[in-house]
Amino acid sequence: MASDISGASLSSEDLKLQFAPFSSALEAGFWHQLTQKKLNDYRLDESPKCIKGYYYNGDPVGLPTRLTLEFSAFDVDGPTPARCCPALGMLYNTNTLDAFKAVDKKALLEKEAKEIWEAIQSGAALKNPSVLCRFILLTFADLKKYHFYYWFCFPALCFPEGLKIIQPPVILEEVFSPKQISALQEAYDGLCIKRGITAVPFFLMKYADDAVQMALLEDWEAFFTDTKKITVGVYDPCTLSQHPGWPLRNLLVLLAKQWGSKLDLVEVLCFRDQTLQGNRSIQHSVLFQVKLPELPNNSVCLKSVGWEKNPKGAMGPRMVNLSECMDPKRLAESSVDLNLKLMRWRLVPSLDLDKVVNTKCLLLGAGTLGCNVARTLMGWGVRHITFVDNAKISYSNPVRQPLYEFEDCLGGGKSKATAAVDRLTKIFPGVSAEGYNMSIPMPGHPVNFSQATLSQAQKDVVQLEKLISEHDVVFLLMDTRESRWLPTVIAASKRKLVVNAALGFDTFVVMRHGLKKPHVSQSVYAATDSSTSCSSASSSSSTPAGAALSVPGSSLFSNIPGHKLGCYFCNDVVAPGDSTRDRTLDQQCTVSRPGLAMIAGALAVELMVSILQHSEGGYAVASSSDDRMNEPPTSLGLVPHQIRGFLSRFDNVLPASLAFDKCTACSPVVLDHYEREGFSFLSKVFNSSHSFLEDLTGLTLLHQETQAAEIWDMSDDESI
Amino acid sequence: MSCSVLDEEQFRLSCQLLLQRSDQLGDGWSWEAVQGSEEGYLRKTALRSVPSDWGPLHDQKGFSSHPQPQTLCDSTGHEKEEQDPAASTGSDFLRAEEEDAGSYTVTNSSSLVLQYEYHILFSCSYGAPVLYFRAFTLEGRSLALEEMWSTIHPNYRLCLQNCPLNAISQQEHPLLGQPFFFFHPCRTEEFMGPVLQAAPDQGRPVNYVLSWLSVVGPVVGLDVPLQYCTALHSTKPD
Ligand SMILES: [Zn+2]
Repeated sequence: MASDISGASLSSEDLKLQFAPFSSALEAGFWHQLTQKKLNDYRLDESPKCIKGYYYNGDPVGLPTRLTLEFSAFDVDGPTPARCCPALGMLYNTNTLDAFKAVDKKALLEKEAKEIWEAIQSGAALKNPSVLCRFILLTFADLKKYHFYYWFCFPALCFPEGLKIIQPPVILEEVFSPKQISALQEAYDGLCIKRGITAVPFFLMKYADDAVQMALLEDWEAFFTDTKKITVGVYDPCTLSQHPGWPLRNLLVLLAKQWGSKLDLVEVLCFRDQTLQGNRSIQHSVLFQVKLPELPNNSVCLKSVGWEKNPKGAMGPRMVNLSECMDPKRLAESSVDLNLKLMRWRLVPSLDLDKVVNTKCLLLGAGTLGCNVARTLMGWGVRHITFVDNAKISYSNPVRQPLYEFEDCLGGGKSKATAAVDRLTKIFPGVSAEGYNMSIPMPGHPVNFSQATLSQAQKDVVQLEKLISEHDVVFLLMDTRESRWLPTVIAASKRKLVVNAALGFDTFVVMRHGLKKPHVSQSVYAATDSSTSCSSASSSSSTPAGAALSVPGSSLFSNIPGHKLGCYFCNDVVAPGDSTRDRTLDQQCTVSRPGLAMIAGALAVELMVSILQHSEGGYAVASSSDDRMNEPPTSLGLVPHQIRGFLSRFDNVLPASLAFDKCTACSPVVLDHYEREGFSFLSKVFNSSHSFLEDLTGLTLLHQETQAAEIWDMSDDESI
Repeated sequence: MSCSVLDEEQFRLSCQLLLQRSDQLGDGWSWEAVQGSEEGYLRKTALRSVPSDWGPLHDQKGFSSHPQPQTLCDSTGHEKEEQDPAASTGSDFLRAEEEDAGSYTVTNSSSLVLQYEYHILFSCSYGAPVLYFRAFTLEGRSLALEEMWSTIHPNYRLCLQNCPLNAISQQEHPLLGQPFFFFHPCRTEEFMGPVLQAAPDQGRPVNYVLSWLSVVGPVVGLDVPLQYCTALHSTKPD
C-alpha cells in the first residue's frame, strides 16, 4: 500500500483531491451524559451503543470541520439542531484503560468500513445515504478521577490511486450568475421542504442559465438521462476553499461503484450555506470536477482510513480531565477558593491567600471555642485542621458547639475530637482534618499515681510535642487555665505561633503569644528576652490582668515587637494550679454569654490571618488601640497583641504587654529547664503545687501584693 | 435617580425585542426559563477561534497570563496526567493512516477553537443586565479564569485588568449555581448613562440590553450585528 502512494509523482499529486477530515467536538454535556449512562444504564456492559452527532455547513471561515456530540447524543431518535446534518456512530465504552488500549482499532475500522462497502455495493446507500457518514467513538471513563479517554474514527474508503482533479475548486459565484445562485438556493430549500428536513446531506443537481433542479440520490436513474457529465451536491461542513470535507469521500466511492463505468466526469458542488448577521449566503460554495477511477469489479472491500489524530498531530487517543467541573468535591473546593479570590479581586488585592490556605492549624480544645474557630478557619479556606480534646459530647453541647448534633450525644456521647473531624469532612470534603482524643497534662494535676499514669502522661507529652512541631499555628481553646500551660511552654520552645482565646461570663481575651526569636545561641535570646522590661516596666506591665485592663493601650507600651510580647501567663502572678478547686464561688460561674464564643473564636482566626498577612508574621510589632487612626501595617489592618472584649459595653480594646521575665510559662528559666530536662522537669510541675513554678521563676518573691488574677477561663463547657 | 438604571420589567421587554430580531436574523439567542420560577435568562452559544499569539492558553503546565498569578486552585491537587495510552497502540495500520494521501491535514495551530456559552441575566442590586459566560475547548473542558484572560484581545485585556475590580472575574451563576465568568456590572451605569441621554435627542427609543450588549459583548467575542439596530428600535411586540 505504501508503495502505491509513493508511486504517485509530485506533479500529479498536486492534482489529487484531498479531503479535510472531521475534528471531533465534544460538549461538556456529552461527558456528563456518558457518566450518567455508565453509572445507571451501561454499568459493566461493553457492547457497542448507537449514538448521534451532527455537522454543520454554515461555519465562518477559519473554523475546523467538526463533528459535534452534545448531551443529546444518546437520544438517537431525538431532533438534530436545525440546518445541521445528523451522523450516526457506534460508541464502544470500555470498563478499563487496559481494555481501551487493547481494543483492535484496525478491526473496528474494517468492520465499520465493510458495512459501508456493503451498503454501497448493494445500493442500499442510495436509499439511505446517511450510512456514508458514520463514526466510531471509543471511550474509557475513569469516574474516580473524571478523566475521559477517547478516540474518534470517521471511516472512509479510499480509491487505491486517489482521485484526479480535472477542474480545480472555484468559488460558486465565479461560475454561477446571481440568478443561478438564487435558483440553486430555492431548489435546495425546496428539496428540504419536500423531505421535511432542514438539511439534505447529498443530492443530485442539474442547472441551466436560469434554472436549477435537484433530486435525491435514489432518484438517479430518473433524474440523469445523460451521464457524460453529472453534478452532485454534498452538504459540506468544510470551510476551506480548496478542499471538500470528509462526507464527500464515501459518496464518490458510491458513485464510482454504481456508475463509474458510465461517467466521464463528475462535477461536485460543496454546498455551504452561511447566515451572517441576518444575511444568508451560499455563493462561497465550492465547485470542482474529478475523474472517477473505475473500481475493480470484485467485491473486495477498499482500504479504509479514519482514526482521528490527537492534538499533537499523532495517531492516538485523547484524554480530557474534567475533574474541575464534574467532581463534586473539586467543585466545592473551587467554589470555596473562588469566594476567597473574590475577596482579593474586589477588596484586598494584595491579600496572600496561599499563606492562609496552607497554614496548618492545631486546635487544642474542640468545645465552644474550638468549634467556632474551626468553622472560621474553613471559611478562610484553611485545609489542614487538627483537633485535640479528651471530652465526650454531652447533651448541653450541640446548641453551643456548632459541629455537634443531638445524635452525637447518645450512648454516652461521641468523642469530640473525632466527631469534629467527621463533621468538618461532611461540611467540606476538601479539608484534611485529624482528631486526637487525648488529655493534656496540667500543672498541679499529679500524674504519678502509678507507673501507668506516669507513662501515659509521658506519651501524651510526646504526642503533643509532635503535633505542635507538625503545625504552624497552635490555638489554645481549652476551658481551664492550667491546661494551657504545657502547650504554651512547648510552642514557645518550638517557636510556633500561638493564638489563645479565653472566655469569662461577658468578657473575653484573644491574644497572640510573643514569638521568641529563633534559637541562635542560648545567650542571645536570654539577653533580649528577660531583662529589658522587668526592672522599670514590670511594675505596671507585668501586673495582673486586671491592672492591664484598666490601662488599655497605654502608650508606654506601644511599638512592642513580636518577640518581646507576653504570653497568656505573663500577666499572672500566680502559677497555674487546679483552677476548678481554687476558684471562689463567683469565679465558678462557668457559663458565658452564648454569643461570646462565636465572637472570640472568630476573632482568634481573624487575628491569625492578620498576623500571617504581615511581612514579619509573629514578629510583627503589636498594634494598639492608638494605632486605629494610623496607616495599618497589613492589607487587612492592625495586628494587635491582644483583643479584650467587654460584651456588656459592646467594646473591644487592644492592649499590648511585654513578656514577663518571671512568667511561669514563657520565661527563659522555664524554657531552659524544659529544654534541658524535658519530661522529668514537666512531671515535677504536674506533680507539685503551684509553688514549684513560683519558686522557680521568682514569683514567690513578688507575692507581697496579692491580687487575684482575673479568671478568663470560664466556659459553659464545664459542669457546675 | 438616574435614568440609566433598568428595572426588571424593562429588562424583560428589552430581551423580548432582542429575541424577536434575533429570530429574524438567525442570531441564535433563546430565552431559558428557570423551572418553577418566573426568572430566566437569554442564552446563546457560539464557536470562536482565538489566535494563540494573544497569550499562552494551551500551556498545560501553568497559566501565566493573569497579572497576579496564583496557585490557590492549582495547588489543590492537579494529578499528573497518565502516560499517553497511545503508546501501546502505535501499530502499522496507524502508520498507514498517517500516510493517507486523500486527507488534507490543516497544520494550523496558530489558533484555538473554543465553544462559548453566553447568558444575559438581570441584576436587581445593580439595576443592570449582567453578562455571564463560559468557554470550553473542543474536548469539553471548561477554561480556568487564567486561560479565559488569554482569550481576550490584548487591547481590551490591559484596560479590563486595570479596572479596580478586575472587570471580568468568576462567580457562581445566580440561577444555575455553576461557576461562570462574568462581567462586573459596576461600570454599566457609567457607560450606559451617556448612551441613554443621547438617545432622545436622536429621536428614537433605546433598547437598553442591546446597547449594553454591543459594548460589552465584543470584549469576549460576542458580536452584535448592526442589523439589530436598523429595525429593532421600532419593532413592537405583536
Ligand atoms: Zn509568659
